[in-house]
Amino acid sequence: MLKNLDIKTFMPAIVLLTLIIFFTALNPNFASMRNFARIAIAASPFLMVAIGVTFIIIMGSIDLSMEGSVSLTAVIFCFALVYFGGSVASTGWIAVPIALLCGALYGALNGFIHARLLIPSFMSSLAMGFVGIGATVLLTGGGIVRINDDIFRSLLTYRIQGFPLMVYLAGFFLCVGIFIQKKTVLGRHLYAIGGAEDLAKASGVPILQTRVLAFALAGFYYALGGMLQVAKLGQAESVTGANLMFLSITAAVVGGVALWGAIGGVINALIGVLIVAVINNGMVVIGLPDFIQDGVLGVLVIIAVILSTNRSSVRFVK
Amino acid sequence: MRDVLKSNFHWVTLFALVFLVGLVDKNFWDIASLLILIGDFVPLFIMALGLTFAIYIGGIDLSTQSMANMVTVIAALYLTSLGFLIVPLCILIGACLGGLSGFITTRFLVPSFISTLAIGGVCYSLAQWLSGNRALYMDSEKRNQLFGWLLDSTGIAPNALFVGAFVFVLMLFIERKTLLGRQLKAVGSAELAAVASGIKVQQIKIMAFAISGGLAALAGVLFSIKLSGGAPSIANGFLLPAIVAVLVGGTPLTGGVGGVVNTLVGAMIVTVIRSSMLYLEVAATHQQMVFGLVLIAAIVFTIDRSKLTIVK
Amino acid sequence: MLEFENISKSFGPVRALNNINFNVAKGEIVGLVGENGAGKSTLMKILFGSYLADSGSIRIDGKSIQFASPRDAMANGIGMVFQEQSLIPNLTVMENLFLGREAEFTHFGIIDKSRMAASARYQLAKVRLDVDPLTVTSELSFPQRQLVELAKVLTLEEETEGDLVILLDEPTSVLSEEEVELLFDIVNKLRSRAAFIFVSHRLDEVVTLSDRIYVLKDGSIVDEVTRETAEIPMIQSKMVGREIDTEYYKQDLKKPFDETTSVLSLKDISLVGLLHHVSFDVHAGEVVCLVGTEGSGREAILRTVFGILMPSSGTLQYNDHPAIKIKSPYDAVAHNIGYMPRERKVEGIFMSMSVAENMTSSQMQRYSYYGLLKKQAEKELAEAWIDRLSIKTQSSHTDCSRLSGGNQQKVVLAKWRSSGAKLMMLDHPTRGLDIGAKQDVYEMIRNMAADGLGLVVVPDTFEEAIGLAHKVIVMKDGRVSEEFDCDQQDVRPLDLIAAMT
Repeated sequence: MLKNLDIKTFMPAIVLLTLIIFFTALNPNFASMRNFARIAIAASPFLMVAIGVTFIIIMGSIDLSMEGSVSLTAVIFCFALVYFGGSVASTGWIAVPIALLCGALYGALNGFIHARLLIPSFMSSLAMGFVGIGATVLLTGGGIVRINDDIFRSLLTYRIQGFPLMVYLAGFFLCVGIFIQKKTVLGRHLYAIGGAEDLAKASGVPILQTRVLAFALAGFYYALGGMLQVAKLGQAESVTGANLMFLSITAAVVGGVALWGAIGGVINALIGVLIVAVINNGMVVIGLPDFIQDGVLGVLVIIAVILSTNRSSVRFVK
Repeated sequence: MRDVLKSNFHWVTLFALVFLVGLVDKNFWDIASLLILIGDFVPLFIMALGLTFAIYIGGIDLSTQSMANMVTVIAALYLTSLGFLIVPLCILIGACLGGLSGFITTRFLVPSFISTLAIGGVCYSLAQWLSGNRALYMDSEKRNQLFGWLLDSTGIAPNALFVGAFVFVLMLFIERKTLLGRQLKAVGSAELAAVASGIKVQQIKIMAFAISGGLAALAGVLFSIKLSGGAPSIANGFLLPAIVAVLVGGTPLTGGVGGVVNTLVGAMIVTVIRSSMLYLEVAATHQQMVFGLVLIAAIVFTIDRSKLTIVK
Repeated sequence: MLEFENISKSFGPVRALNNINFNVAKGEIVGLVGENGAGKSTLMKILFGSYLADSGSIRIDGKSIQFASPRDAMANGIGMVFQEQSLIPNLTVMENLFLGREAEFTHFGIIDKSRMAASARYQLAKVRLDVDPLTVTSELSFPQRQLVELAKVLTLEEETEGDLVILLDEPTSVLSEEEVELLFDIVNKLRSRAAFIFVSHRLDEVVTLSDRIYVLKDGSIVDEVTRETAEIPMIQSKMVGREIDTEYYKQDLKKPFDETTSVLSLKDISLVGLLHHVSFDVHAGEVVCLVGTEGSGREAILRTVFGILMPSSGTLQYNDHPAIKIKSPYDAVAHNIGYMPRERKVEGIFMSMSVAENMTSSQMQRYSYYGLLKKQAEKELAEAWIDRLSIKTQSSHTDCSRLSGGNQQKVVLAKWRSSGAKLMMLDHPTRGLDIGAKQDVYEMIRNMAADGLGLVVVPDTFEEAIGLAHKVIVMKDGRVSEEFDCDQQDVRPLDLIAAMT
């Protein structure tokens, strides 16, 4: 039983390695520094979102609101940046905490509706996602908001050792996420609730607060993802977050985060994100059209869930 | 008395809404234009009908939109070669894919929102691949020849309405008069008791998802006929109102109560909300938000808390 | 130190506890025994703060206390080691020990792991458990987890000023003999730190460990014995007491059955953790009652026979046909086996469906014609049975949620009878029913037996068992403890208790 567990925990990493080898074999250009940088750039905003949703999944819930959340915070960031002077070098820097705060608040609202009104998380977050997209369209009037700040764009343009700043920034927040998961009370409580909610409650874990806090934390990371998207694209609109719901959950699951909670963590999200990014990039490198991606990922996520589901502990699935 | 009110809540809401909107703009009460409005929403209604079955047994189907999209592409591509056969073929494809979602959900214990989301992803990819990621135009001659009647009206009623009515009656028949309908009711009402009665619960659930997929495909066919073309994103923005239609109509997420008639009323409510927003000149931008909020409200009021011991 | 004075508690019309007077002195180990339904768990729940007593008072060191919740109780030094373990399996030992109280080790929300580990080691030393606090709980053995639970309760020491009172709720059910000895050893050594209340159905253990024993019966304390004077047979007789009213259960109405037709035969059935080598036979026309405490395996047997649980070893033979294999409830129904689960509202009946719909729910194929429902036939069936069993309902299409409990049970029984069941599993069929409804159910059971069905019943009380059964099987800890043939001998409740404990 224990041995089985060991293989399972390393599976995602093995898959990642296999994929890299596979694509390199088909096209040696895959393994170049430039290409890895490309993968890293594509993965960075996406990693933030995946980390955010991982916190929720550990708890045993799910969050489907990221499309709305990411788009909304990205747009708010752009507006704020322009409003406050147009550049992060001047007073525009305040747009960053504003966007982060908005993300956290939106997440907290999301969590509150779920936890207080006792609506299953997939429904409440789905609805909140729609509301978020709607709000974004409202703010932008359906158009695109552009920013013109070279300093902020330096996140993309300025490279150290071949990798742009945004990658390092994402890496930093990855470490923060790991820290939260392993060293804080919140992290501990997430695993407790995910492991056995009724027992956690009986031991005095504050369920409502933890839930809201977890969703707020996820919202914070979604905002980070949104801002990195803006750094990458230079603009924000209602579809900035498009397809992220599917991608980030797939990444988390494929990386080894169990859907029913309590198993896996931020590192798994990282591996999952890399797997998805590698597949996406790899397919382009070997000449496949990129819209195959969703189909491949759909199959992948199902296989990942099937392989990881411990059937004896999951009695009822709806 | 309270029970009566609760079980007829959806009718009350519908009439109240129609009345209120009509007060603001008397033109709204014009039967002819109302019927045209309703006719426009037949595809949405059909999609919601399918969703009803998935939700009724306690699951959800998030693939309906992508399924419909994919079908529009298939229909646009193959109308010329297959003619009328395209309709049953697409429905079959939808049912099979839906059944696959159901199979994955029941056999491998994958939550339905993930399995349908994943299947939806597969549909999306297929749609993009088949269409080369661009909008396709249907052979308009063939389409007019075979389906022109759909776009016409008989008297004041658009013909699309009759299609909708036909599907509705068929689904109602299944729900009320067939073995399958009874089994669905048993599974939705008390899954554990269904197991203890020897009912093959897994099979029934797969059927529910197959129905959902098949009807989503039919909705896709209707979309493509109406727009005389197909694209991977035509049906976007229909998932939310379809879910709202089912829930507001009185089939709660927890399943077991409600059904086809409820979805009919729910779809009409959604139609009224949508068209009233048009009439009152509420910008399209606001509409999504309104629906999201309505959805949350609908869930809060309809969910059966006794069925959820722990809400995750 | 801890005193219960005149505690009473009712649930609606049912009196669960009746003027209980109960006390525990510092450093004492007090045993609490009683049969199912005597009120043990209600008493424990009041002590632990999950329930509020209707009247009477609880005093700790002379001070009157009222607990509004388990957290209140814990704050006053009352801890409980649960029967179903309360540790979260994916957390480490120290995380479980301090779950909900991490604040003592944190600084701005960040946990000081080394300090927590050191503290954990100190707590674990109290119960002499030598494991690394960083071990994941699911990797520990059952007895080790039991000790961690005990240690978790003991952490209350640092929280409260007074002495602790620790409730042990059936702690030994999953332990081997050596493990039990170890546990008792530790509990004895902990007397200096806490008083214990030990609840168990294993009288030999209770007598070994306790200083004093209270015997609970029908909500009242009927006896209090000290270790010196405690004798198991005497305690058992106090637990059971009353004479059976044979008139009431119409024992003489039992009809003889055909011993040659075997309907069900269990041989050496084992199911990991639940059943150990269970064997017995059921014949056509025979009523077999399974008696035992909670967790003794009765329900598991029913569910195994019906195909919900799969035995890990042993054979199940139906109708003497070795070829029949039941792998699911669907198979069971196809082979004319019926099942009335304990949780009627959730598993037994479809509340939101009508009487007629319920009646055909296990034979839907028969009442449909190429997929179309034969509603008229269904209605006729329902009306026939409503008449036959005198089911009180407005009509055959009334929702079953509107029927009384007794009538609901009738509908369920009718459902199985009409589908031609030859073997019936009934789990607590009279639970929650009033006297009249109970009589109706007994009559139906007798009629089914007279019609040649084999029945396996898990009854609510000993009286029911003795009154209804041709054969009573006593289960203890997953094994068949004893088999009583009611025709051959006069079975008394005392005999049953003796076999159960």
